Amino acid sequence: MMRYRLEKRPEPSKLMLYGTPVAAVVLTMILGCLLFSAIGYNGLRAVQEIFLTPLTNPYKWQDLGIKAAPLIIIGTGLSVAYRANVWNIGAEGQYIIGALAATGVALMTWGMSGWWILPVMAIAGMAAGMAYASIPAFLKTRLNVNEILTSLMLTYASVQLIYYLIRGPWKDPMGIGFPQSRLFSEAARLPNIIPGTIVHLGVPIAVIVALIAWFVMSKTVFGYRMRVVGAAPHAARYGGFSETRTIWLAMLVSGGLAGLAGMLEVAGPFQRMVPGFPTNYGFTAIIVAFLGRLNPLGVIVAGVVLAITFVGGQVAQTTIGLPDEATGIFQAMMLFLLLAGDILVRYRIRRVSPEASVGAA
Amino acid sequence: MPNRLELTGITKQFPGVLANDHVSFVVKPGEIHALLGENGAGKSTLVKMIYGIMQPDAGEIRWNGEPVVVANPKAARKLGIGMVFQHFSLFEALTVLENIALGMDAKIPSRELESRIREVMETYGLALDPHRTVATLSVGERQRIEIVRALLLNPQLLIMDEPTSVLTPQEVEQLFTVLRKLAAEGCSILYISHKLHEIKALCDTATILRGGKLVDTCDPKEETSRSMAEKMIGTGLKDIVRAEGRAFGQPKLVVNRLSTGKTGHFDVPVDNVSFTVRAGEILGVAGVAGNGQNALLDALSGELIGDDREAITIDGHGIGLMNTTERRRQGLCAVPEERNGHAAVGDFTLSDNSVLTARDRLGMVMMGLINSGAAKTYTGKVIADFAVKALGPASTAGSLSGGNLQKYIMGREILQKPSVLVVSQPTWGVDAGAAAAIHQALVDLAAAGSAIVVISQDLDELRALCDTLAVINMGRLSAARPVKDFSVEEIGLLMGGVHGSMETA
Repeated sequence: MMRYRLEKRPEPSKLMLYGTPVAAVVLTMILGCLLFSAIGYNGLRAVQEIFLTPLTNPYKWQDLGIKAAPLIIIGTGLSVAYRANVWNIGAEGQYIIGALAATGVALMTWGMSGWWILPVMAIAGMAAGMAYASIPAFLKTRLNVNEILTSLMLTYASVQLIYYLIRGPWKDPMGIGFPQSRLFSEAARLPNIIPGTIVHLGVPIAVIVALIAWFVMSKTVFGYRMRVVGAAPHAARYGGFSETRTIWLAMLVSGGLAGLAGMLEVAGPFQRMVPGFPTNYGFTAIIVAFLGRLNPLGVIVAGVVLAITFVGGQVAQTTIGLPDEATGIFQAMMLFLLLAGDILVRYRIRRVSPEASVGAA
Repeated sequence: MPNRLELTGITKQFPGVLANDHVSFVVKPGEIHALLGENGAGKSTLVKMIYGIMQPDAGEIRWNGEPVVVANPKAARKLGIGMVFQHFSLFEALTVLENIALGMDAKIPSRELESRIREVMETYGLALDPHRTVATLSVGERQRIEIVRALLLNPQLLIMDEPTSVLTPQEVEQLFTVLRKLAAEGCSILYISHKLHEIKALCDTATILRGGKLVDTCDPKEETSRSMAEKMIGTGLKDIVRAEGRAFGQPKLVVNRLSTGKTGHFDVPVDNVSFTVRAGEILGVAGVAGNGQNALLDALSGELIGDDREAITIDGHGIGLMNTTERRRQGLCAVPEERNGHAAVGDFTLSDNSVLTARDRLGMVMMGLINSGAAKTYTGKVIADFAVKALGPASTAGSLSGGNLQKYIMGREILQKPSVLVVSQPTWGVDAGAAAAIHQALVDLAAAGSAIVVISQDLDELRALCDTLAVINMGRLSAARPVKDFSVEEIGLLMGGVHGSMETA
């Protein structure tokens, strides 16, 4: 009789650290194929359409870029916060509030022109995202309220704020009753960077944000602070890093970046505020952050992978009639498998026979 | 009568280390047998094989003359082998009775269990109320729970792993009485320790291991502490070298009426503590664990910030309101008791761990950027100067053995040349050779004019190392006096809370 035992590794395994995300994606494909076959779809085709078509069809690449951009920006912010064990689950809300603030600027400057409008919108978006994230930060540091709950619940409040604004004060006067804001002026729309496509300025910005974050996290005292508070809070205090300040910083960075993503999204693909603006980028970015191993460089790759599932999900809807929810199922499966596989980073599986069990304790 | 336990040619190989190399010895019924050796000598591995936690690669274990395979601890207990670990596995929020019930292999009704517990306590004079919550008990009392737990199984062999490291001298005496009584009834005891005078006082036979090999089996009563220590470390033992008759300088660290608030549920705060340490002086703070040592260290290091600027002064500057980083800039470094997760981050490389406390004092940060080259160079120096067994600055702290990590941490602070150093348990779990090196480094730092506070539960260490000594009990500190003015009995009484006339100070 063979038994298996988990055994702690002397050092965390680098191979597993980078291998498990890949394995999680591959396993998701296999299990997804089985799952959709079992409920009567062509499982193989579903996996092919979701994971491969977006890559093999050059026409879809621009979609990948603009879907990946907000995921990368928000995911970068979340990876910074999660490193410090600050669990901001409400990036979706900060993303929405950031977009609303940018919309406010766009509407106030409607009809005007000038290069300064977009930067002001970006600053407003980031400031609003930070302000919204500071509510959970305040509650956590002053009253020790769990930030997971408060940041999550504030997301739902922010959605209601969209509905109120676009049905009331910001309603498009030319919109024949549609609940939406008016179309932004030219100066408040993100320029396309590749003519003839829909690729906007937000895409390179996302890559630059991730690169800067990588540098900051690996080379600066700020990044060190985040890593040490997350890895050993007691040691962080001994090393002179206050926990309260770290929680604030983590919340502000992740909230600010979510707000920036909101601004880029509303000024890029949407160009106006509509009820359908919230598309769960803020939640999907949680998966992006983990799949990217909380490393901004990994987040770039993970953002593209999740963008593939979004784009592919749409493809599969039209080609084989897969339900819209299929994308969510694949994404959730990926996160689940990734977190389950994480144990192999610190532990290895040893086969032990009952008469001679081996292993260090 | 057959031997109680007979090991023949026990060998255990780990990746890269031969932990036990053909170890053979015999424990007779009713014998108190010491297992002696430095950290890493293979003592723990050996007893883990006896207790069934791991299996030998080669060799034979005979139990009462019969060859046996001890598959797991449950099988060991069934044979009649009990073990009391160095680190207790107790739930603080539960009562003594509940803790014992949880550890039993067989389900016993709690009333019956309680009467059996009382019986065992009565027989061996182990005073303990089964209905007390563990959190309210001293370390010595907690150890009694573990002993009672082992004795309930009527063991024929009791393994004790470093049992006295947390006890007052009086508690040690009580423990020895229990162990002698057990041995007189025929129970064999395998006693792991590196405290040689205890082994001389208690044990009938001593088996000495070094580097996984059996070096000698001897009668400790025939040996001197020094001869056994030399067998243990393999070379001549170095004494602490200190200049005799050196004078102390000006008061450096002055603590005046320092108190801390109650932080955690079970923490003991510091209550109105005052002391002075002069340049060149080593002050020892003795006490049983859990009497406010952690709060004292945190209050001095700056992890706990008080509300009185002048409660702590260095060279006359009040630092009572500063955080740890500012205090380090003022020259105060500290080493807390817990190594992993407090003094060092296990997941980080040693280089990154150097950044944790040395970044400001040694210029590892320029405009917010970490100079990893400087951190690496410094870490390399610590590893070399303190003979830390590590592959290099890029090894993670968690991959080091406890003793080596402690050497690294002590080195990291000492090489910063702090003008005040506060350390807790500087040689906890560290082998004799490493402990001597750490002690010498502390003495040298003091000789260079630093003021040092050593908080320790190890009286031998304090008596060897310190110039002056004070005792902490329930958060209050006795007056400091030259260490040679104290007798062991007196320190023991102070540790137990009998302050007598010295409380007024």
